[in-house]
Amino acid sequence: MAEKPRLKLPKEAKKGEVIEIKTLMPHTMESGQRKDKDGKTIPRKIINKFTAEFNGKPVFSANLDPAIAANPYMQFYAKVDASGTFKFTWTDDDGTVITAEEKITVG
Amino acid sequence: MTRGGILVSSAVAVAVIVAGAYVVASSDANAQAKKKEAPLETKDDASTRPWKRYAGWPTRDYSKYNTLGNLATAPAPKTPRKLAGPITGDAANGAKLVADRARGGSCLACHAMGPAGGAALPGNVGPDLSEIGNAGREDEWLFNMVFDARVYNPETVMPPWGTHGFFNEQEINDMVAFLKTLKSPAPFKTVLDDPGKRPVPVEKRENLDPIENPGMWAVDKAQELWKQAGAAGKSCKSCHSNAKAAFKTWAASMPKWEPRLNKVLAVEEFVARHAKATTGANWLMETDENRAMSVYLHFLANGTPIKLDTASPAAKAALERGKVLSERKLGQLNMACTDCHGKAANHWIRGQWMGEPKGQYDHFPTWRTSLLAIWDIRQRFQWCQVNIRADELPPDAKEYGDLEFYLASQNEGLKLSVPGIRH
Repeated sequence: MAEKPRLKLPKEAKKGEVIEIKTLMPHTMESGQRKDKDGKTIPRKIINKFTAEFNGKPVFSANLDPAIAANPYMQFYAKVDASGTFKFTWTDDDGTVITAEEKITVG
Repeated sequence: MTRGGILVSSAVAVAVIVAGAYVVASSDANAQAKKKEAPLETKDDASTRPWKRYAGWPTRDYSKYNTLGNLATAPAPKTPRKLAGPITGDAANGAKLVADRARGGSCLACHAMGPAGGAALPGNVGPDLSEIGNAGREDEWLFNMVFDARVYNPETVMPPWGTHGFFNEQEINDMVAFLKTLKSPAPFKTVLDDPGKRPVPVEKRENLDPIENPGMWAVDKAQELWKQAGAAGKSCKSCHSNAKAAFKTWAASMPKWEPRLNKVLAVEEFVARHAKATTGANWLMETDENRAMSVYLHFLANGTPIKLDTASPAAKAALERGKVLSERKLGQLNMACTDCHGKAANHWIRGQWMGEPKGQYDHFPTWRTSLLAIWDIRQRFQWCQVNIRADELPPDAKEYGDLEFYLASQNEGLKLSVPGIRH
């Protein structure tokens, strides 16, 4: 069963507030360096890119490399000036793009 | 804990809980249980047979030694071995042998030993031997303490290194020669090296936060399984539409004596037997499904103090059997549960802090960060045994039921907090 990404951010914030956002993507992050029982290299399969957008504008992104451990965890901050939607994307080596969204109300 | 926060990314799971809030209390499984006992599959085993040890675990054969199900260890010698004369040994080889972890764990796991123990994270279950060379001990006494200390103290936690074949006589002679060279306090380089000063580990992680504890993902998985129809066409939800209300305290009352099985029944075995008897799902113990359901059922009772039903004579007898089993010497290392978690509790075995039985149960099943896996208490029992070089039993063995019942009884009053998170 494919695991869902985990998100943690406030549902509400004040205008101009800097909020903490935590995301965690369940993924094995196979580095491409390991060998299986028969000595064959296990092919690399990692999340290679993470992005966060707020109302369509980029707020944070990261390129991930093979040394990053399983279940990559991102914690970052964003200033919110208006209500809207955060959209997060994780790009897998195999081309799969996993997305998740979360709304926040700014009052 | 904030449920909303945890399930913020899980629209499906939130929907289940909201829907459940409108169901009246008649779906309460505890109320039903008073009228009718929960159906159980009572014929088949609740785990795979023949039981096969987990992949990656040591494959050595320990069949010459006691298990929780079988007495096989040869009787201890009664008298010390007499030596022909003073010991001549190779102290340098002895220094290597006392630190060799492949030979049963190494002496340093329990004893500081002067220079040999200076930077190897020694334990303090046994006495600090750094100045044993000044103690005026005879060769014969030193030899027998290593070969089989039971000749001096039948209750010792020291493994019988010679009798149980970890080291031969010449190797023990070498170790004795090394011990006699130890004449000055261990040169600990840091506080962490010194087991007398090493800080006791404290688990501070938020075990109910799915960002910190991947064990929490089992809660989501179980909620999906809850709605999944088994071979009989029914799902858990068919009878338990409001899981949150029905299982608010249930797991904290487990394990319990089950007359229909004539054994102690715990949550995981209940899941396997009840699912088979009702939905037809084949969720044998130690499958991912079984672990997820066990995590979920414990999770629903989080915050409830553990309180067992020990009133019946059969339950009392099971507790007594569990206590006796906890004192049984097992395996090649000849250790009982109560050796590490009783006599040696609150001491270090190498870098591992040995806890008391109280506090070893309320967080199970738990996430193991070192293994990226959920372990239930039965797998923990199995690993303890393989670790002390005893054959484990299948997870549904009745002996584990008795032992778990006894362990749970020592944890009564503690509030469930599942899934835990541990190294």
